[in-house]
Amino acid sequence: MAVVTGAARGGTIEVRGLTKRFGRITAVDDLSFTVEPGRITGFLGPNGAGKTTTLRILLDLVGATSGSATIGGLRYRDMPEPARSVGAVLEATNFHPSRRAHAHLRMMSIAAGIPTTRVEEVLGLVGLTADAKRKVGGYSLGMRQRLQLAGALLGNPGVLILDEPSNGLDPQGIAWLRDFLRHLAREGRTILVSSHLLAEMAQTVDDVVIVSQGRLRVQGPLSALTAQSRSAMRARTPEPQRLAAVAHQAGFAPRPLGPDMVLVDGATPEALGPVLAANQVVVYELVQVSQNLEKLFLELTTSMTDQSAVRMGAHGAGVGQPPGQWGPPGQPPPGSPEQWGPPGQPPPGSPGQWGPPGQPPPAAQPVAPGQWAPPTGAPSPWRPPPQAQPPRAQAPQTPPQPQPPGTGEPRR
Amino acid sequence: MMRLIEAELFKLRTTPGPWVCILVTMLLTGLGITTAFIVGHDHVVTFTAPTTTTGLRNLVGAGYEAGVVMAPVLGVICITTEYRHRILTATLLLDPRRPEVITAKIVASALWGLLMSVASFVMVAAMGIPLLVVEGGSVSALAHQVGPVVPGILAAYLLLAIYGMGIGTLVRNQIAGVILALGITLVLEPIIVAIFGSLAHMDVNFLPSRATQSLAGGLLPRGAGNATLTAHVLLSWWLGAIALVGWGLGTAILGYFLTFKRDVT
Repeated sequence: MAVVTGAARGGTIEVRGLTKRFGRITAVDDLSFTVEPGRITGFLGPNGAGKTTTLRILLDLVGATSGSATIGGLRYRDMPEPARSVGAVLEATNFHPSRRAHAHLRMMSIAAGIPTTRVEEVLGLVGLTADAKRKVGGYSLGMRQRLQLAGALLGNPGVLILDEPSNGLDPQGIAWLRDFLRHLAREGRTILVSSHLLAEMAQTVDDVVIVSQGRLRVQGPLSALTAQSRSAMRARTPEPQRLAAVAHQAGFAPRPLGPDMVLVDGATPEALGPVLAANQVVVYELVQVSQNLEKLFLELTTSMTDQSAVRMGAHGAGVGQPPGQWGPPGQPPPGSPEQWGPPGQPPPGSPGQWGPPGQPPPAAQPVAPGQWAPPTGAPSPWRPPPQAQPPRAQAPQTPPQPQPPGTGEPRR
Repeated sequence: MMRLIEAELFKLRTTPGPWVCILVTMLLTGLGITTAFIVGHDHVVTFTAPTTTTGLRNLVGAGYEAGVVMAPVLGVICITTEYRHRILTATLLLDPRRPEVITAKIVASALWGLLMSVASFVMVAAMGIPLLVVEGGSVSALAHQVGPVVPGILAAYLLLAIYGMGIGTLVRNQIAGVILALGITLVLEPIIVAIFGSLAHMDVNFLPSRATQSLAGGLLPRGAGNATLTAHVLLSWWLGAIALVGWGLGTAILGYFLTFKRDVT
């Protein structure tokens, strides 16, 4: 990895109450967040969430309807040497196809008053030295992204703003970009990277700002999101309603997964196990599940109907929430709204899932020690192990579970 | 500002469009040179060296009509390339001060227009003078007409490039801009001159082509509507210059407020 020397420490990016309307369409709606130096911040959201508009407002390409967006306390247009302070990659198409890569960077260096020798340096940094004399029209998308990045680094800026920089990059290129950004962040630069794929960014970013429909959904360290995504417990029980009620009373967020299966969001084995034991809830199986990070992201950006945002602490909890919970304060965790009932009530489900109201749940079948038995009335995917095992009941069991591909770890 | 102008000039010289404009200008100048040697008298057309003052000035200013057509096209290309290839984003990231950016573009397109006019004079020197010598004309007589014609032609190219940039700023679409610039010069203005100048006897001398003709010395009988306007007196050269500056800056300023200040999405 080539070293970018003499980097100025980046300034803090501050967006406060930013709103942008295009006619009757509100692209950005009262958005506020902060991006700190020395960290890579992922600016995430689905297509049309307002990410690009926000970045363009930050760079004075688009005017805000209201609110402010500053870098190091200054608007972009007020910076004395913007190209030396902020490097930006916005799209991979803004080149003249007939201009050679070297000439493109040379043009930029002239306009920014940067010595031409720097052109060679940044071409080397992004690995384009050998192709510098080629016309950009013949470049692949990945090469154009690298050229964009070279242009952004030309002024050796302390702040980098990158809009979907991994578009068009092959897996090697994405890995290269990840290492490159990490290296730049270690030098103290402020790096804001937008993407519509959380999983792709999961191995790159330190912090996340998640937006949807122009509004802030979540801001905080990625570690908090990751921790949260792994804090669900799946319980197999003959009394799902009772388990859900107990879990709900304990402050967790249960939801039905099947006739004898409950998923308790926001729970850890250490927290849920004793609660169930104390309430003598029969449990056949209690497994910590790794909720897919991308799925959680999708839930955050598509299903969340509440307008308020969540700021995460360093350990996974939103402000005003018990540790391990996601979502706005006082709200259930993200999920299908129809899965959630009124406060104080156990979560509703289809009658077949939870049993008819007022009816006791199916009684637990007595299981003799050393025997396995599927829950009453439900076929079990489980097969008796070759050797007799003690029944799993009333005690948390947290065996390490191998995750199926694509669920346990973020997709790359 | 100097950095921006230098960068704009660098942009122009590292793309093919402006060079194509220069090439076409030189070709059209070659045609102008040829026509300067064609003399019609008593229904007989002959190819001979010009000897009259008007004839010699037409030879010196053989690139005039090429400039009327190509300098605005150059101006259009100067600005619309930014939109066509989405380079404006990079341009404004390097310097977000839009008035300064458009001023640099105006200066750069004017200077490139000047270069185009120099190219046309190079063509006159390379093709016209040898032809004049071959046809038995007087080079010293030709040299006497350089002073009255050359400054006006240089200024005309320069101001017409600004005028084209103004059109491009207004339109933003490159093809539409080129068609509009050519359409105004070759179609719209002759119609206006014919209707309002010849029939309604209104003053049409402030139109870009007529103002250019005034600036270039008013001794170039070819061109739109000239045959029907022989009785009309052209503007003085400085009034023609002011009119052209007005057209150029007027369209550029209008374009700045109508389009250039807009969000770059």
